[in-house]
Amino acid sequence: MTTQMTRASAPRTVTGKSSRPARGSAAHVGRPGFAWAVPATLFFALFAIAPLVMVGVLSFMSWNGLSEPEFVGLDNWTRIFDDPVMIQSIWLTLLLTLLGVALQTPLSILLGVWAAGEQRNRAVLSAIYFVPLLLSSTAVSVLWRALLDPNFGVPAQATWLFGDGNLFGKQSTAIGVLAFVSTWQFTPLHTLIYQGAARAIPQVLYQAAEIDGAGRFRQFFHITLPQLRNSIITSMILMVVGGLTTFETVLILTQGGPGTDTTISAYYMYQKAFKSFDFGAGAAIALVLVVAATIISLVVVRLSGYDKMRGTMEGMS
Amino acid sequence: MRTRVRFSRVLACGVALAAALTLTACGGNGASAGGDDKIHVLVYGDATNKVEKAVVDKFNKTSKVKVVLDTIPGADYQQKLQTIINTPQAPDVFFNWGGGSIQPFVKADLLLPLDDFIAKDAKLKDAFLPSVFDSAVLDGKAYGVPMRGTQPVLLFHNKKVLADAGVQPPKTWAELLDAVKTLKAKGITPIALGGGDQWPTLMWFEYLYDRIAGPELFKKALSGDKDAWASEDSKKALGMLKELVDAGAFGTNFDSVKFTDQGSPTLLARGKAGFELMGSWEYSTIQDFDKAFAEKSLGYTAFPSVPGGKGDAAALVGNTNNFYSVMKKTKHPEAVAEFLKLMYSDDFVKQQLAIGNLPTTTNTEQYLDTSASPAFSHFQFDLVKKAPTFQLSWDQAYPQSAATPMHQAVQQFVNGRLDADGFIKAMQALPTE
Repeated sequence: MTTQMTRASAPRTVTGKSSRPARGSAAHVGRPGFAWAVPATLFFALFAIAPLVMVGVLSFMSWNGLSEPEFVGLDNWTRIFDDPVMIQSIWLTLLLTLLGVALQTPLSILLGVWAAGEQRNRAVLSAIYFVPLLLSSTAVSVLWRALLDPNFGVPAQATWLFGDGNLFGKQSTAIGVLAFVSTWQFTPLHTLIYQGAARAIPQVLYQAAEIDGAGRFRQFFHITLPQLRNSIITSMILMVVGGLTTFETVLILTQGGPGTDTTISAYYMYQKAFKSFDFGAGAAIALVLVVAATIISLVVVRLSGYDKMRGTMEGMS
Repeated sequence: MRTRVRFSRVLACGVALAAALTLTACGGNGASAGGDDKIHVLVYGDATNKVEKAVVDKFNKTSKVKVVLDTIPGADYQQKLQTIINTPQAPDVFFNWGGGSIQPFVKADLLLPLDDFIAKDAKLKDAFLPSVFDSAVLDGKAYGVPMRGTQPVLLFHNKKVLADAGVQPPKTWAELLDAVKTLKAKGITPIALGGGDQWPTLMWFEYLYDRIAGPELFKKALSGDKDAWASEDSKKALGMLKELVDAGAFGTNFDSVKFTDQGSPTLLARGKAGFELMGSWEYSTIQDFDKAFAEKSLGYTAFPSVPGGKGDAAALVGNTNNFYSVMKKTKHPEAVAEFLKLMYSDDFVKQQLAIGNLPTTTNTEQYLDTSASPAFSHFQFDLVKKAPTFQLSWDQAYPQSAATPMHQAVQQFVNGRLDADGFIKAMQALPTE
């Protein structure tokens, strides 16, 4: 009962000019106790930490899923770093991630800022444009695989552009298809982020700029873009993480082919573990991915100042 | 009171978490072999399951030990099988392709040799065509009883396209090359190839090697003799294949075409291609989307002979059959033996034929006229019966771990990324055990 009483009376003590609640009541309302974190912690430990540790152990073992796992020391590690396909897969992963960022960022900023306008037609069009976001990656990949069939799909109708339509038979075009399909699928998500962020930019900034005689381009580059800074960082981190963990798109569109030309690390891990039943090597590749993703995220966070995350509203009030 | 609220919430979350965990734990129980009076039979999930279901129902009517049929749908069968086979969820009897698909299980000592069963009932061996039965014999012991149908690889063609171009179905390699040139000159892709799937490309290697070097070369390579791949015959086969590719036989965009999404069979059925080398399932695949074409204009012949080659022109390659293998730890070996006897029963054979499969029992022949497509069934059965050897598809003869690098090497040789030496090296690097 006491809690209810203090809670009910709390606003009364807080009202007034003070921007902070009074000390006493804060202590009463309190932060959530440690117990609140137990379910999430348990869940995380059980489904993230424990498997990670097990994968770490497995990467020093030889196991085909049938016999007892045997410790083989660094064997898996020396094998994957001597493996040209593995080295190539790291470069391919980075390339696809970079392509994703380079294609999706400008597109989604422009679309997001456009969609932030209040006009009715923009609302309708952006609603349609968000549809890919609602489809599963698998469905999207199956759809594009069919659309890009060289004999019965789009390439057969547009030979001036696609030539013989051998999109999945050459490395350059196969990578292009993968980058394009991811862009098609994920740009709406980032557009959504930028739309929200662009709507949050105070109109007074634009009004002031107009009085100062700034045109649309100057407004975009000197107000919109700097104001979107934090959203750009957020969206980029999402893109990088998404790019590093791309899997279904490759599984369905190219199966890592032709040959090993689009075998990115995540797919190579699956191939080693679940197609060749070399779980030790698969585990080692998985760890490489974890370490690489962690380093890259840290670098992005550091370089972008995300860790300090300045407000974009300085001097506004 | 506050603490109590907190506590109960924690408890609620804990219960929810525990519930979630037990649910996942239950999820895997579908194929448990635990029951005392049950045997679990695991099969590849597809349209043929209705026949397997009927056999199981028939068996359960009279048997004390009941059979439970479990299925794993489609393409992931082998992967899922290997992940459960050494766990308590493993079945008693399971579907497989013989050869390399069961070799790791034999090595891990998980399978029951069927020689005792055969000693008690010789028909478990003698009722099947020998070339087929042998695919599941490893280290001199039988590990599988054929079920479902045989699937030899045949050279299919579009009769109308060939007639319009004035081309006869080729009997020799030279005739095939001529046909390729004629069709290409007419602006038709001579041979449809689902290169995107990789295994259709492999079929060309399998036949050419068999025709030129006979079945021994591959047998040697599989037993670990890496020199087999570097032999003169091997180089000759690669050279002839290269000649075919360079002649434009497959067009230029074959690596973007797949069989599995009906890309390549559609090319054949629509008259955009003249030939396709494919397993006998090509017939039912095309029948599904163009019944009239399958019955009227779809032609089929054996793979052409290669004069001067050591191989027999009547030899076949493909999926010899599917098999039932038995786990060593099964609690009811007698019941399993009784169940396996149904695989050569007249009823089972008739039901398989009715849905388009071609069983490989010695009694199949008398029921061929009852099949879904009698002419095609007769043609296939005669081929299989006369075949001196029936080479199991390479990717199934080798251990599973070799399949991916083998497919990649095959694709890269045909699209020019690997030369003959590169291909030979890649094949030599494949694990053989």
